[in-house]
Amino acid sequence: MQAEEFHDSIRPGLIAMLPRLKRFAGLMVGARREGTALLGRALQRMLAEQHRYQRGTALDRWAFAELYRHWLNELRGHADPMGQAKTDDASFERLFDQEGSAEVDGLTAGFLGNLPPQQRLTLLLVYGERFDHIDAGRVLDVPADTIGARLVRISAALADRLSSRVLAPSGATIENLYPEGPSKGLP
Amino acid sequence: MTELSDELLVAYVDGQLARKQTRAVEKVLAQDDVIARRVDALKDAHSRLEAAFEAILAGEEAEVAVKLGPQRPGIFIAWGTPAKIALAGAGLAAALVLAMAGYGWPLVMPELARHPSGATDPDYVGSLPPSWQEEAARAQALLSRASLEVALESQGNQDLIAFQLAQTIGPSVKLPDLRPQGFRFVRAQLLRSGEEPLAQLLYLGTSGAPIALYARKGGGSGAPVFKQYGAIGSVAWSQDGIAYLLAGEGDEASLMRLAQRIEQEKQAPAPSPHDAESQEAPRATGSVTPPYSPLPKPLTQPAPAP
Repeated sequence: MQAEEFHDSIRPGLIAMLPRLKRFAGLMVGARREGTALLGRALQRMLAEQHRYQRGTALDRWAFAELYRHWLNELRGHADPMGQAKTDDASFERLFDQEGSAEVDGLTAGFLGNLPPQQRLTLLLVYGERFDHIDAGRVLDVPADTIGARLVRISAALADRLSSRVLAPSGATIENLYPEGPSKGLP
Repeated sequence: MTELSDELLVAYVDGQLARKQTRAVEKVLAQDDVIARRVDALKDAHSRLEAAFEAILAGEEAEVAVKLGPQRPGIFIAWGTPAKIALAGAGLAAALVLAMAGYGWPLVMPELARHPSGATDPDYVGSLPPSWQEEAARAQALLSRASLEVALESQGNQDLIAFQLAQTIGPSVKLPDLRPQGFRFVRAQLLRSGEEPLAQLLYLGTSGAPIALYARKGGGSGAPVFKQYGAIGSVAWSQDGIAYLLAGEGDEASLMRLAQRIEQEKQAPAPSPHDAESQEAPRATGSVTPPYSPLPKPLTQPAPAP
């Protein structure tokens, strides 16, 4: 969404993108309820300091960046920031378990849940929000190259997992998958 | 076997390659099954991730839609006379007070509630401050047709008002005389809270904003409880099956005193329809009604001020 509004009219724009902001916050924190609470605090701050929003800036990119920054600031305030950033599997799965949402396979959900928050957000911004690498990098305060490198690493890891699941559904059948020997035809 | 890096293949799957590069990769894919399988796996990964993000978004959108609820169709009223416009304007203003005092701000930001382990700010209410347009729209929802059906010229007749309130809210509803406390009754009107009628009685002191007493059915019995909503203080209590809310800009002590005064006031029995009609009749025939008439003496002896 390209923001054309003046800084004093960001509120309707924020409301319009609430579901997207909630998704971002939930994936960042790794839990829906905590993500929603964090979003509430961040929105209060955004509105209180909306003069910092500059006309011409895409509102969604600005809001995601503010939300991300707010989360980092809150983490820094904790005695154990790394512990705070850890994701609980059950809480993370509840992100996908909402009325109206399509079913998501456990492998993908589990894979996402085990990623560090910054990597999850990288995926979300590029594959979920369709941001280019430069904009995604601005939101997460990293160079565009880092975004590209993360995407390759994460996509390859998920592809490996999917491939290994196809190739090795169980130990009993693995020998039958390579009648000519596993060295042939494999990189 | 051709060696193609994951970096190139991910860029291909993501559509980041130039046309020439894309064609080159596709040429390899047509000839190399291993690379083709790898690309298939990357595409599968890509589509699963997209689906996962879409699923979360769909859930959030559904929830936001539910929380905001269906939009009311609203009421269209032909604004025929200046008197009606004035009355409706007063209703809007007073309903704004009600919205602040009794029902909280519009729930424009669903579920942004304070997390128990999160914010420690006691003023945090979990929603964005509303724009004036939203406030006005919310206030509009409190207006009903009945809000405009009590003519301004009947506002000076306490018995008629008491009769109408008793008919609508309940026979035990109070129409307190607060003149000993320095507040003169100005007007009453019927709003709505959902489908329930909601009476609003407006009083003015010698200065400052009006105070309002709201009454609706239900509530059983409950002692007055003070609550502050921004600049508006409020005291809520229930008595004889009527729920009351006193709202205004006064401080806690003064509002509590007023509420206790109202609570202790004995309810004046509502006059019969005949009485009310007989008092209204002269106006219908053109008798002069003063623009403002403080509460006339009730038919029954008023309760002594505490």
